[in-house]
Amino acid sequence: MMAYSEDDIALAAEYALGTLDADERARVETMMSADKDFTAMVQAWEYRLGVLNQMVGSVEPSPEVWDRIRAAAGLAGPQAPLVLPDPVLPPPPAASEAVAPAAAVADNSNVIRLSAQARRWRNIATVATAIAAALVVMIAVGAYQPDLLPDSLRPKPRSQVVEVKTPPAAAPSAQYVAVLQKDGGSPAFILTVDGATRNFTVRRVGAQPEPGKSYELWIVSDKLQRPRSLGVIGGGDFTARPVLSAYAPEVVNQATYAVTVEPEGGSPTGVATGPIVFTGKLIEAVPPKAPPPAPAKTR
Amino acid sequence: MLTPAELVWLIAAVAKGDEAAFERLYAATRAKLFGVVLRILRRQDLAEEVIQETYVKIWNSAGQFNPGLASPITWMASIARNRAIDVVRKRGEVSIEEEPSAMEVAADSPDPLARREMTEELKRLLECVGRLEPDRQKLVLLAYYNGWSREQLAAKFETPVNTVKTWLRRSMLDIRECLGL
Repeated sequence: MMAYSEDDIALAAEYALGTLDADERARVETMMSADKDFTAMVQAWEYRLGVLNQMVGSVEPSPEVWDRIRAAAGLAGPQAPLVLPDPVLPPPPAASEAVAPAAAVADNSNVIRLSAQARRWRNIATVATAIAAALVVMIAVGAYQPDLLPDSLRPKPRSQVVEVKTPPAAAPSAQYVAVLQKDGGSPAFILTVDGATRNFTVRRVGAQPEPGKSYELWIVSDKLQRPRSLGVIGGGDFTARPVLSAYAPEVVNQATYAVTVEPEGGSPTGVATGPIVFTGKLIEAVPPKAPPPAPAKTR
Repeated sequence: MLTPAELVWLIAAVAKGDEAAFERLYAATRAKLFGVVLRILRRQDLAEEVIQETYVKIWNSAGQFNPGLASPITWMASIARNRAIDVVRKRGEVSIEEEPSAMEVAADSPDPLARREMTEELKRLLECVGRLEPDRQKLVLLAYYNGWSREQLAAKFETPVNTVKTWLRRSMLDIRECLGL
């Protein structure tokens, strides 16, 4: 960026300020499409000046605007959202025979869920970095920070969600699995959640805590005000706990799980203090009942 | 208003195609974004068109949002604002004559914020803007908040366009230096 002339810098700044005419704006946009660093400079100006919008008052647009957005974006419409539905919990074991029709419904929604997920995996690689950075922010500053992110973010771990199918066991309840890892590297922990009891187990597969440090597992969700500790993990090869039963199923299923390095015995304050080293999200590995039929169109 | 962390999560969900998250994101941010573009466009219908295009773009490019570079609302507002500026520039430079009241309205300063409500970034930027000469402070803020072109600013300040051009350039470079960039 040091290589740019004052003319280029001023041009980027005036683009962000908005004072260029239509031709000049078009010229800047051409430069941006050809030069990543120049784009970054323009965006830096946009974001730097963008804080001024904090002082602009809010005005409600008319309600029809949302309908038009939905139509223009090709969204399904006002019916129940397709994506990330509530998990279908299997019936409690004692009642499993009595509610067979409900189980059939559950299978059906599984098809939708799984094929919708398959579609979404494609986007995950691009989102992963954003999610990881978001985690850093959330854990570092919690929900207390005012309107802007801090200047200096910690080094961002890149998270990757890997689908792991475990062999369909005879177990009657759905099993959810998250692989916690860093930089697409080898898995460090495998988190398994039982759909019925929401008990979880964490198996240590790669990570060794440094001497005097502990790994602590956190649940991070937009439905929780801040990341919550699920306790210290990884001292042994296997950690099993029931604490997830305190959270709603949709929180458990949609949350991101993150592992931080904390002082031995875990964070003393209940707020993560160390860097995030591994992250992952749950996927359904074992459906609650028989395998679903061949995936159908989602809608 | 949701916290920035919550908005980051909504955008991440939107990037994965989560329509419910998109609706929540819209509900949480539409009034702010509409306020920003209405100030520039000064016409309800045009501003609503820009809002529509903005959210379609957000839906399609949520995966490109980098929370390490900008807060969610800053990122979204910059998409909206760019679109609004494009629209006013393409419509030509007639809006002052078209709307004689535009000058008066534009003289309104944006909502004053209590200092404690300002982020550190805003305080820092305002300090740097505050070091410019009073006329140039006004020039920069009118340009930003009202989306005025150099010609409109020249009319307002009763100055040749080329002078405005020089002032703007100098002001931005001064701000850059003040911010330590």
